[in-house]
Amino acid sequence: MDPAAALAGIDELVEEILLRYPPDDPARLVRAALVCKRWRRILADAGFRRRFRERHRTPPMLGFLLRPASLAASLTATSSSFRPRGGDLRGRCALDSRHGRVLLARLPLLYNRLENNLSVWDPITGEHLELPKQPRHAEIVPFGWNAVVLCASGACEHLGCHRGAFLVVVVCADIDGVYVHVYSSEAGAWRDPTFAAHYGGGQFQFNLYLFDPSAYAANAIHFMLYSDMRNGILEYNLGTQEITQDLLPDDLGRGVLTTTENGGLGFARADGSTLYLWSREADPGGFMIWALSRTVDLGTMFTCLISAHVIGSVHGLHVFFVSTVDGLFSVDLKFGQAWKVCNDRDIRNVFPYTSFCTPALGEVSTVEEPNVGTSSA
Amino acid sequence: MASAGSGDEKAAAAAMITLISSDNEKFEVTEATATLSQTIRHMIEDGCTDGGVPLPNVTSKILARVIEYCKKHATAAAGEEGSSSSFSDAAFLEVDRAFLEELEEFDDAFLEVDRATLFDLILAANYLDIKGLLNLTCQKVADSVKGKTPEQIREMYNIVNDLTPEEEAEIRRETQWAFE
Repeated sequence: MDPAAALAGIDELVEEILLRYPPDDPARLVRAALVCKRWRRILADAGFRRRFRERHRTPPMLGFLLRPASLAASLTATSSSFRPRGGDLRGRCALDSRHGRVLLARLPLLYNRLENNLSVWDPITGEHLELPKQPRHAEIVPFGWNAVVLCASGACEHLGCHRGAFLVVVVCADIDGVYVHVYSSEAGAWRDPTFAAHYGGGQFQFNLYLFDPSAYAANAIHFMLYSDMRNGILEYNLGTQEITQDLLPDDLGRGVLTTTENGGLGFARADGSTLYLWSREADPGGFMIWALSRTVDLGTMFTCLISAHVIGSVHGLHVFFVSTVDGLFSVDLKFGQAWKVCNDRDIRNVFPYTSFCTPALGEVSTVEEPNVGTSSA
Repeated sequence: MASAGSGDEKAAAAAMITLISSDNEKFEVTEATATLSQTIRHMIEDGCTDGGVPLPNVTSKILARVIEYCKKHATAAAGEEGSSSSFSDAAFLEVDRAFLEELEEFDDAFLEVDRATLFDLILAANYLDIKGLLNLTCQKVADSVKGKTPEQIREMYNIVNDLTPEEEAEIRRETQWAFE
């Protein structure tokens, strides 16, 4: 028998091959669905999509959102075959991207008030949800704020959750302390805010940098805090809904929070031609300390490193975005290489868009997920 | 290699298995080589390999290639076992790295075959349940369809398009983003 026909006639083997298609080339799976009925049926099966995500584990970066000085949001696809759907980005800026979704705020931004129009966009399905206004917790004007979008399930491996419920977490500070406001897509409403007094009995009046990258680790979301004297971190535990504040050691300097490869909390800073990577670890006494885990010589990857600083990272993937006077670069430590993202030297923040993007086809897929053209995790 | 257990390894190496292809050609292989196939491993465990193992689904041409793969990778597996006991020894790690590179080169060269042979190797790896070979060959096919149109993929596999124009139009409508 012709080996090609024999192979194409065994579902398990066709699936073995389709499972090995690269997740960052979603159009390849769509073209496979157009080959014949058998292949379409295999691809449309919810079990296939689950196995595809389990096999590849880390959702690939399909694109990234840039925040230039003008604040205007744009989503640039890095995968040649990913095309974002819908989403009216005009007059909006990007605040965060996670869980296959993008958190946007309407311009002009109100830096010192919690009356911004936030919305959540899914670039794969094209759904764009405007959030209701946050209830004001007090008449006092907040110092500053930051916000993220997250998966609503704490126990989730984030492989198949993408189309599931999400949370938007807004953190702000005022003269008394810090507040966390949470919007739940399941409830369709904002919860009552959580409050914590300023750190050290008010000794450190922490504030928040809008747009500073936040990091998810150990079922908590972490934000950078700053004050006149020291930098700190705010940890909001999604399970207990408690706020913890802590000081950051001075030697970490001004960098960004990251999620490390093994899912812990990290910190990255470029100084001269060196990239310093820190991770938060428990010392033998059980105290959490910051340990310098790695230094990387960027000089071998770049020709020009004047005023290099890290402005973002792909969580858990060892990819960092470094801004220099020569433009914006993405540095992949796995390959020891840097790629120029754009010539714009005025990019302030980068939010990578990572997600699985497998075609959801026809009737079979409706068992697991609504049929909206594509599905992702 | 560690000295402990090397006697057993010699004994295992001495045990030979006869594999018989569909065209009745006989291949003598060591048990270590043969047991990379889970199918054959189970037959050995059940004691049904006396008089040779008939493999009616595998031709001599393909079986020769499969054995070539298993021989190389059986050596690799034995090397890994040996080196684990002297993990701290930098010289061993150096040897390991060189060996892994050699193995990668072997795999690359091994995959330099025509498409029909590659498909036959997948069918054989599946039938004999050789995980490493199945992974290697399926990945090669997955990589080779980069940028290919549905029509080109059908030609690769001799598949007849049985989708109705309506079904095709529906898929294209649902996944329009992939064609823009």
